[in-house]
Amino acid sequence: MESTNWILQLLGRLHPLLVHFPVGLLVVAFFLELLTLKGKKTGLREGITWMIYIGAISAALSALFGWFLKTQEAYTGDLVDNHQYTGIATAVLAIITALMLKSSLKKETLNLKLYRFTLTLTVVLLSIAGHLGANLTHGEDYLTAVLPGNKVEYNDEESGALLTELNGAAELTELQQDKLSLKVRGLFAHKCYQCHSDNKQKGGLVLEHKEGVFKGGETGPAVVAGKPEESEIYKRIVLPANDKKVMPTKGKLLTAQEIALVKLWIKEGAHWSDQAVKVFPEAALALTKPELPKVPKETHPLDKLVDTYFRAKAITWETPVNDRVFIKRAYMDIVGLLPSPEVIDAFLEDTNTEKRSLLIDNLLNDKEGYTQHWLSFWNDLLRNDYSGTGFITRGRFQITGWLYNALKSNKSYDQMVSQLMNPDKASEGFIKGIKWRGVVNSSQRTEMQAAQNIGQSLMGVNVKCASCHNSFVSNLTLDQAYGFASIFAKEPLELNRCDKPIGKIAKVNFLYPELGSVEGETLKERLLKLSEVMTNKANGRLYRTIANRIWERLIGRGIIEPVDEMDNTPWNADVLDWLAADFIDSGTDLKHLIKRIMTSKAYQLPTVNYKTEDALKKDYVFKGPVLRRLSAEQFSDAISQVIAPVYVAVAYNPNEEKMPAKRIWHHQKDLTNTVLPLPGKRYFRKTFQLKKDAIKDASVLISVDDSYKLYINEMPVGEGHNWTEVGKYDVTQLLTKGNNTIAVEGTNEGKIGNPASILFAMRIQHKDGQIENLYSDETWKSTAHTPKGNWMRFNYDTKRWKKVKNYGNRNWAKLLDFTFKSHEKTFARASLVKQHAFLKALGRPNREIVVSKREEQATLLQALELTNGAFFNGILKQGAEQWLHTYGHDTEVLVDTLYQKLLGRHPSSDEQKILIGALGREPSTAQVQDVFWSLLISPEFQFIN
Amino acid sequence: MKDNNKTINSRRDFIKKMTAASIAASATTIPVASFLSSCSPEVKKMAASADSVILLWMAGGMAHTETFDPKKYAPFEKGLETNSVLSTFPKHPTAVDGLEFSEGLQSIGGVMDKGAIIRSYKAADLGFILHTRHQFHWHTCYEPPQSVQAPHIGAWIAKELGPANPVIPPFIAIGQRFTMGEAEELKAFHSAGFLGSEYGPFLIPDPSEGLDSVRPPEGMSLKRFEARYKLYKELSNKSEVMAQASDYQRESLMRSMEQSYRLLNSPEAKVFDLSQEPKEKYDTYNTGRFGLGCLLAKRLAQSGGRFISVSTEYEPFLGWDTHANGHTRVKQMKALIDKPVAQLIKDLDESGHLDRTLVILASEFSRDAIMEGRPGEEVRDQARRQPDKIEHIRHYGMHRHFTDGGSILMWGGGIKKGLVYGKTADERPCVSIEKPVVIDQVHQSVYHALGIDSQTHYNVESRPFYTTPDGKGKPILDLFGKEMKSTKNNNA
Repeated sequence: MESTNWILQLLGRLHPLLVHFPVGLLVVAFFLELLTLKGKKTGLREGITWMIYIGAISAALSALFGWFLKTQEAYTGDLVDNHQYTGIATAVLAIITALMLKSSLKKETLNLKLYRFTLTLTVVLLSIAGHLGANLTHGEDYLTAVLPGNKVEYNDEESGALLTELNGAAELTELQQDKLSLKVRGLFAHKCYQCHSDNKQKGGLVLEHKEGVFKGGETGPAVVAGKPEESEIYKRIVLPANDKKVMPTKGKLLTAQEIALVKLWIKEGAHWSDQAVKVFPEAALALTKPELPKVPKETHPLDKLVDTYFRAKAITWETPVNDRVFIKRAYMDIVGLLPSPEVIDAFLEDTNTEKRSLLIDNLLNDKEGYTQHWLSFWNDLLRNDYSGTGFITRGRFQITGWLYNALKSNKSYDQMVSQLMNPDKASEGFIKGIKWRGVVNSSQRTEMQAAQNIGQSLMGVNVKCASCHNSFVSNLTLDQAYGFASIFAKEPLELNRCDKPIGKIAKVNFLYPELGSVEGETLKERLLKLSEVMTNKANGRLYRTIANRIWERLIGRGIIEPVDEMDNTPWNADVLDWLAADFIDSGTDLKHLIKRIMTSKAYQLPTVNYKTEDALKKDYVFKGPVLRRLSAEQFSDAISQVIAPVYVAVAYNPNEEKMPAKRIWHHQKDLTNTVLPLPGKRYFRKTFQLKKDAIKDASVLISVDDSYKLYINEMPVGEGHNWTEVGKYDVTQLLTKGNNTIAVEGTNEGKIGNPASILFAMRIQHKDGQIENLYSDETWKSTAHTPKGNWMRFNYDTKRWKKVKNYGNRNWAKLLDFTFKSHEKTFARASLVKQHAFLKALGRPNREIVVSKREEQATLLQALELTNGAFFNGILKQGAEQWLHTYGHDTEVLVDTLYQKLLGRHPSSDEQKILIGALGREPSTAQVQDVFWSLLISPEFQFIN
Repeated sequence: MKDNNKTINSRRDFIKKMTAASIAASATTIPVASFLSSCSPEVKKMAASADSVILLWMAGGMAHTETFDPKKYAPFEKGLETNSVLSTFPKHPTAVDGLEFSEGLQSIGGVMDKGAIIRSYKAADLGFILHTRHQFHWHTCYEPPQSVQAPHIGAWIAKELGPANPVIPPFIAIGQRFTMGEAEELKAFHSAGFLGSEYGPFLIPDPSEGLDSVRPPEGMSLKRFEARYKLYKELSNKSEVMAQASDYQRESLMRSMEQSYRLLNSPEAKVFDLSQEPKEKYDTYNTGRFGLGCLLAKRLAQSGGRFISVSTEYEPFLGWDTHANGHTRVKQMKALIDKPVAQLIKDLDESGHLDRTLVILASEFSRDAIMEGRPGEEVRDQARRQPDKIEHIRHYGMHRHFTDGGSILMWGGGIKKGLVYGKTADERPCVSIEKPVVIDQVHQSVYHALGIDSQTHYNVESRPFYTTPDGKGKPILDLFGKEMKSTKNNNA
């Protein structure tokens, strides 16, 4: 602190008194000056002159004394600075004004105009300086606080209620002591942390933790237990607002009730609760099933609750959607596919009153369909993908197999969570995170990723902030985040604040310690405990979070939003709690949860147009579901169903027939390095011997990127131009006992190097039942030079040919059709496909981090992909050819069938007319393709109504 | 010199060309994702000295001692000590007195009087060196991994400034394919991250095929293309669902389809067509895909491109990623970049666009013959069989990753002409010894040139995410200004 001088200090304290002189004198002088305008009331001149002189001198003195006050008594802050600058400027201007006046009096009105101008300026500045000074003394909101609408935000009702409760008690119970302690610490957080926290220790005082509070600051102990009057904190908060020692110096003072609470707390011994202080609103952890209101006209429990909500909001029930809309919703929401026209017609004709519920059951029983649709939701949520960062350095593991089976067998949610928390090899990918080589920011170590992801995905709480420093947006602390992350570490982690170690070792802990201990000697032990703690039924948060997520999926808007922030207020707590409690009662059966929502009238209401984003996000009132855009997977699968297969190869194949065939090509080198194959023709050979000639059956599978001509023993077998179409050939007649030769002329298309490969498999069944297999692998040979002579001959000289290169399967997925089994050719569900440009453009995220909500906005890049993307247009073309082949003879049937298949309805006569006009009587492939496009891009198809 | 209002003018054009519905959408800049709150109100627009950026990306780690900061030349001979090799090329003078470049870069040297060189770049210390991790850091200013998806600098610029020409995507990335090793790691930062894919890169792996990405699908005549769009509009207008969709859903769908239609149908699509260039010019640029990429970048910058990157392309062990045969490969790389880069600067200068286009040439880190990492922080050696004594030409070159020194070139967009900023040591280790520059400064300098405030941020999952970490990046103001008065002697 600066040294203080009592004289200066005294003068400084005279500043607030002195400032009234210039304020009064100069302002009055200004008004009198106005009266003298246009040469009137000239008699005022002398008085004005003296006012200006005295005003200017007192302004200068005020500024000087103000400066004393500031330096002697350690005022700081923007407000003080601004007051100082404007004050000094006022003083200077006042003196200039006075000087001008003096000179204008001598030279007679010459400088009068200039003087009047500076006087005006002085008064304006004076008002500003005066206002800032008043703000300093009385608080910045002194004036504005009394304006209507600017009432104190902080909820004082709560303080009042607590005070009443505690004052009424003869002796405080432990629970009441805790409550009081937390309340007071909450006050500290809101009112004092800004200057008295670990981050900023004004006066050496830290109020963030017990040690700091009881240690006190430079002026002595802040709290003397039992003696409020001796406690510095209490002494300072009760000071009058204009006392310069009053606390807090920034923001509003404490209310009388708040002061009373602090006093009571100190008087009662300043008990310090071990619980973490809850500064931010936090949802209760526990879950109790709300009593259902008596609403006889509604049978569904959710509808009883919604009905009560509707009545309170004066909303009337709309008529539920018709069967056509319902069946599309149900299909899209459970299996992610379009219902076929036959299914729709049958459903419409069905007179069973329970048919909607039955349909939901049937769809939920379609295990593969359900799994392959909901897989995408879980992949997003659990950050699981088939390709992406980390895999290349084995720093990341898939959980696809485990997840697929969990959904298919409808594992309970409890079981899923347990197996994710305490995993075996199949499910460990989730908590293992993504490990990058090299040094990683400590808030991104894999253990912390586990804490963050569990927090976000399963518990709806943001651990990301707290993994770097105490959170500014929730109650989580750095200690808690590291305690949580330490569960997954070999040994407890050292805390890092903003990536700097702070020399403190974390205490293993769960975010909500009241659920139980997660401490244990070994990692396994801790994970086991975590799995138990997480699925402890007292952890209502786990169940509310998933119930809210599923509701959001089906309705388009969560009961709480954003769905990752479960401390936010729900639009109706009873709906959420009942749904979560009912989910627990069902044995945490996810299908039950889905069915519960879908059978409600609330789900079956027509979609509501919320007009603006705010109406949907901030000021939301539930009136019914929201229109949802098809996901990338739903869009792609629908096209596969109706137009032509979008994907025929998968990254994860649940029915895999494992064959060791490799994707090979001519080894392209640049100096010593392998590079992408250059465009052009390459020649491949494989020779082999057959010991027997009694061949019963021999067949070949081949897929080549980009095209091939296949020969066996110099005989042409077949050719192909699309790697996704598997060539299947019977070659029984072509093989002979002894020497055999496979020859492939392959072509890589394009202008620059790009992936190319041959995938080949041959199965030979001998009459004696023995089976021989032959696959593409590194024993094949290739050349880039056009061979001379008959290169397909067995004995052809291949001395200068090279060993082929296995190019791996990074650029190709597993072909569904690459199998010797008779196989009904179908399409691959987009959820099983490796991330692909088309899906990405449509909004499938890269799953490097948890994605709980996809982008809903249409984007230019997406529109470009749909408008001129070669991939999409290729599929449309293929589909158009197929459709023409089937319906080409009858445009009307074509249009009607297309509408039924894509939109689940017949076209209106208008639409029929437009489309027949576009197609003509004898449509071309191009015309059909363009009609497909127009319908697929149309909002009716792109949105789930 | 173009006026500072160019941005505003083109924005106005942008709005003029759009429908009423899309005006509302673009005016409110609808947050792309639900968790994204609007930009902080404190952010103020500053005076910009550039409207567009071209990033010439030397992928794989370009050794500064072999290119723009040559040291003592050690000619190849058998038995040469590896430790004695600092540069494997002789030096040549440039247009700036006292500034010398390595042999093979004389053309670029010839345009250095129009730009500046930073000779004191220091890449971050990320431990084990993985190219894509350093590239991620260079392009996003954030070290991977991050708990939210960090946007590419091009996406930030696209988001903050929008397209300079309404039909040219504001972020275009030329030259990188995503098919070889570490493709996924490359994709991770070729992304708009949390800003939303609207601002993501428009990828053109092969510049000679750039036109294909902005014209109607192959085999579709313009007439058919227009008829198809008309049919879609006609059917959509009849649709009941459209009435039901929220205004912002409807708008985003209609707007995106319309923009795409307009782009594919616009005369500006010709910008992507390299065959429009005179043959002579085309040939000057055509040293390969990178050279043609420069030509495309030139055309885009002249017609309202906003952020354009041209990469020599990262593929492990190729391009600048010289783990062996360093000398031979660097010679090839210089031949690839020298003429087109110099021509790009000349052409932009001649057409007057260089004043408002900031061109940057940079790499994720440098290389050294001996040192892997940096002094005091050496990491696992990744060179291929590098003996202490050089017996074969393939051992001759900079085969190890070096992070403690490096060069960045900048031209135009308010950058001082003829400036040499910073310095590296003349003896091994050739570390940055004067005015070291880190990536945060580079990014903030770019934002500074474009008039994007350093405090620009979005709240993602309730946390502020700034253009540079914690909004702390500081621009290097010394880079900006009028011509260097002391060009003659500043590198004495």
